Amino acid sequence: MDETHINNLSPQAAHLQFDAVICAFGSLRVVDDVNLEIHPGEHVALIGSNGSGKTTLLRAILGLHPLSAGQIKLDFTSALSAAEWNSRRSRIAWMPQRQSTGQFPLLVHELLASSSSPESALLHAQELGIESLLNRPLHSLSGGQLQRAFLARALGSLDGGAGLLLADEPTAALDFDGQVKVAEVLRGLSATVLVVTHDRAMAERCQRVMEMAGGRLREVRA
Amino acid sequence: MSVEHILGLLQLPPVQRAVLAVAIAGAIFPIAGVWIIGLNIVPVRFAMMHVALLGIAIGVLLNLDPTMTGVALCGLTGAILSPLARRPAGLAGPMGLVMTLAIALALLILSISGVNANGAFELLWGAILATRMRDVINLAVVAIIIAAIYLRWRRELALLLYDREIALVSGIHVDRLTQLLMVVIAVAIGSAVRLTGALLVDSITILPALAARNLGRSLKEMIFWAVGIGLFGNLLGFGLTLLFNQPPGPVLVITVSLITLLTYFIRRQ
Repeated sequence: MDETHINNLSPQAAHLQFDAVICAFGSLRVVDDVNLEIHPGEHVALIGSNGSGKTTLLRAILGLHPLSAGQIKLDFTSALSAAEWNSRRSRIAWMPQRQSTGQFPLLVHELLASSSSPESALLHAQELGIESLLNRPLHSLSGGQLQRAFLARALGSLDGGAGLLLADEPTAALDFDGQVKVAEVLRGLSATVLVVTHDRAMAERCQRVMEMAGGRLREVRA
Repeated sequence: MSVEHILGLLQLPPVQRAVLAVAIAGAIFPIAGVWIIGLNIVPVRFAMMHVALLGIAIGVLLNLDPTMTGVALCGLTGAILSPLARRPAGLAGPMGLVMTLAIALALLILSISGVNANGAFELLWGAILATRMRDVINLAVVAIIIAAIYLRWRRELALLLYDREIALVSGIHVDRLTQLLMVVIAVAIGSAVRLTGALLVDSITILPALAARNLGRSLKEMIFWAVGIGLFGNLLGFGLTLLFNQPPGPVLVITVSLITLLTYFIRRQ
């Protein structure tokens, strides 16, 4: 971690630790014995081919995929009970890879209101140039607009007290300018960031790059 | 038949109770229909129709109020099935199982109890003009619960119906809320099936909600349209029933279906 980053470190930036984590779909191990420690304020890129287990690992942090073995600790604490999971999720800002599962309408401003700090999420929506879309249903947005909406929500959550940003391919649907802008926004964050990406420019802006292959994790660049 | 004749019919207490029941259910039960569509559990109403029959059979066997045993069994089944609603595969498979099992058990129990099965099935088709005041009160209580849940948790509902995982990471107690919705939906269907018949269940739940999905751009707008279309369509249908002296179930469904069909041509983008 460089000195500038340490100086800008948010007091709420989270510590994240994976201890021998295994996740499986049936008998297939998609995350296999992953050990990793991410220090407060550190930005880590997770790269790897499709199906290598990156998204599953991120989802496991949120409790959206069960652990077959091992532990994931946020600020040195595991989550077991429903209350503990709720507490953990309140410390995490999430940008999902698959932003919409159905056609049921949800307006952009309703999505932003689900952030820990809705006012802040609205401000970020303005910064990201989607303020004119606030009354549009999410399913009517383009992929890039949708990603900006979810980024604004996540940034609002960080302002509202979350210390960890989990971003799953946050620039996948953006044009080149959008990719650069989002990458710069993420780089400027003082929170801990774990970003799954296929975007080389995004990975280069992170302090560490980890690669997943066949469920295993290895460090590519420190 | 003249309008004067209809006005004369409206002076009769059974007709007044029927109008009241249609108005209450038509206005509020479509909210449960919106939940059904949002949770993608449309098959639930088929299963609950059969579970209601099983409940009625149990009531007959035990010499209890069949309406209440039907509604209670629907509520219990909703609570038991709610964990399945969160699975990606949804409820379609389990609902088929519940449907078949419930009807088989109902027939067995009716056979054991020695009651004429046709009589029990007639209960299932409903008899709107035989609506008792206690049935109206039952409907009103369920309607108040539905409205209260929507008003209390509309923000949470909007997120849950959009995406369960977004709701979960937003700190919403998704499992508890889903279970509550399942129980209330099941009780609403059970109440409506007993009161107004299997056909009318769709006209007061699913059909207005389908129409609302074509017109509403948010949960709030969908609820607005569902309530409006449910109330207007069902009262209009009941009026046509009286006007043409036809059975209420089919007339109500045809009326609300035509309105729903119309929304597919004027749906908002």
